[in-house]
Amino acid sequence: MRFLGKGFKIIKIMEKILLIEDEELIIKLLSRKLIGLGYKVSLAMNGQEGLDEMRKNPPDLILLDIIMPQKSGFEVLEEMKEDSRLAKIPVIIISNSGQPLELDKAKKLGAVDWLVKTEFNPEEVVEKIKKYAKKLSN
Amino acid sequence: MSQQNNNSNIALRSNENMFTDKEDAAAEIKELKEKLLTKEIQLYRLQSERDDEIHELNKVKAQLEEAKSILEIRVKAKTRELRELTENLEKQISARTRELQEKIKESEDSRLALMNMLEDMEDLRRRAQEEKEKTLAIITNFADGLLFFDANNCLALVNPQIESYFGVAKEDIQQAVGKNFAELGQIGGLQPLVSLMGSLKKITRKELTLNEKTVLEISSLEIGRPNDKIGWLVIIHDISREKTIERMKTEFVSIAAHQLRTPISAIKWTLRMILDGDLGPISDEQRDFLEKTYKSNERMIGLINDLLNVTRIEEGRLLFDLVPVDLGETIQSLLGAYAEILKQKSIKLQFTKPKEKLPQVMVDIEKIMLVVSNLLENAIKYTPAGGKIFLEISSNGKGIEVSVRDTGIGIMKSQQDRIFTKYFRGSNAMHTETEGTGLGLFIAKNIVETHGGKIWFSSQEGSGTTFYFSLPAAGDSALQQKE
Repeated sequence: MRFLGKGFKIIKIMEKILLIEDEELIIKLLSRKLIGLGYKVSLAMNGQEGLDEMRKNPPDLILLDIIMPQKSGFEVLEEMKEDSRLAKIPVIIISNSGQPLELDKAKKLGAVDWLVKTEFNPEEVVEKIKKYAKKLSN
Repeated sequence: MSQQNNNSNIALRSNENMFTDKEDAAAEIKELKEKLLTKEIQLYRLQSERDDEIHELNKVKAQLEEAKSILEIRVKAKTRELRELTENLEKQISARTRELQEKIKESEDSRLALMNMLEDMEDLRRRAQEEKEKTLAIITNFADGLLFFDANNCLALVNPQIESYFGVAKEDIQQAVGKNFAELGQIGGLQPLVSLMGSLKKITRKELTLNEKTVLEISSLEIGRPNDKIGWLVIIHDISREKTIERMKTEFVSIAAHQLRTPISAIKWTLRMILDGDLGPISDEQRDFLEKTYKSNERMIGLINDLLNVTRIEEGRLLFDLVPVDLGETIQSLLGAYAEILKQKSIKLQFTKPKEKLPQVMVDIEKIMLVVSNLLENAIKYTPAGGKIFLEISSNGKGIEVSVRDTGIGIMKSQQDRIFTKYFRGSNAMHTETEGTGLGLFIAKNIVETHGGKIWFSSQEGSGTTFYFSLPAAGDSALQQKE
């Protein structure tokens, strides 16, 4: 029954999500959760990898960490803004930080939302994804 | 010879006693008698003349005597008069002398007094000079920069620290002396100070950032009595070092909090997914342990958030997203989260909001909800089982007022004035509940006040506490006026 239920959702959503995050445990947990819900998930462990991946296979939505090696989340946002193909992809920031100035900066660079990891559960992250995916399909 | 006056009886005698012719003798006697008579008359006359003369002489003599005695009397009188005059004069002279001597003494005394006064004056002048030198030495060597303006708002005194603080040349500073406060703006380096202060008025520790490295703290105060203005003293304290340390501390807390959050969020997500069954089934016992671990982890997240909020308060960047909201609804949506703990502690929570619409307030929802949950969590924490909590929101005409009343342990009277102080916890609170950072009310106060609101409380030890806070209606906020 459980699988059937999930299968039903797959037909309905089918979004490709790119998760750019350097914390292995978070990658494992979120990807498991999202794949379980029928999303297609691609992964990147730093900002540069993330940019390469989104250029190769443009996703429907991006989950982006901020503090990462090589290229930070902000740098990723800056480069995306310059690239017309990438500029329209919704980006949800998932970060351990959440200072007002950072939030403001991310918003200006085109991020649609900012989630502080300690304040949200994976389930709530999924709710946010659904919210923006819905907007996208509409 | 014998003589007989009877002519007839006359007989003359010679030398040898013999009488001669009687006739001749008689004639001769007669002649002699006549001669004699003449002589006698002459004599008489002479005698009488002599007597007259004697008489005259006597008279003259008497007159002389009289004149003499009169003269003598007059001389005596005159002499007495003179003596008296002399005595008088002497008396006057001695009186005058005494007077003069007194005068001399007096003027001598005056002279001495004057000398003493001069000496005292000199002493005072020397002391004043010494004091002046001391004051100057203090002002010159004082660590803070000092500017002294006289009663006409003209620069009267300035110490060398001002030169180094504001990077003004010594000559320029010396030229500034005597100039009016407003005119100092024309002296390059002092311009920021003049524009910060505007005019000479009371200022308490106002910060002036000159560049990345230099932050000065400006205070100014009026010197003198209300009706006897002496001038203005402007004190400039270099707080660059403190600012650097403060910034380093803030950065440290920020980084530390962020670093702490990374593993904690991983723990949170792992536990949540295990508890939600995403990683396969778990036993009831495992669930129980994991739930408790999850709660401990949540508490740790709370502590880190408190630390970050305190850092933000200190950095003056507490609020972010101000939106107009009806707080009644927002608060109501928050209450569900407390159902379980209230049930566990058998505490009844009563929420009251008016039927009519509440005025909207401009708030950072997340922060205001933090205030409500801090007050509510304190009420739950410090109210014994079976107690009651009344949460009420109402309109107060100018905006909204929220109150949280409990039947808890209360706050000791002696500690009430410290209740909003950072890290402070009431001693009875610590006795009841060991956990707590003493940051909740400090954060709440800062959040409310940054919104232009007020927070206060009333409490009776042993019977309960009510915390209140008010927020101005949207459009009426002091905060918006500021922005």
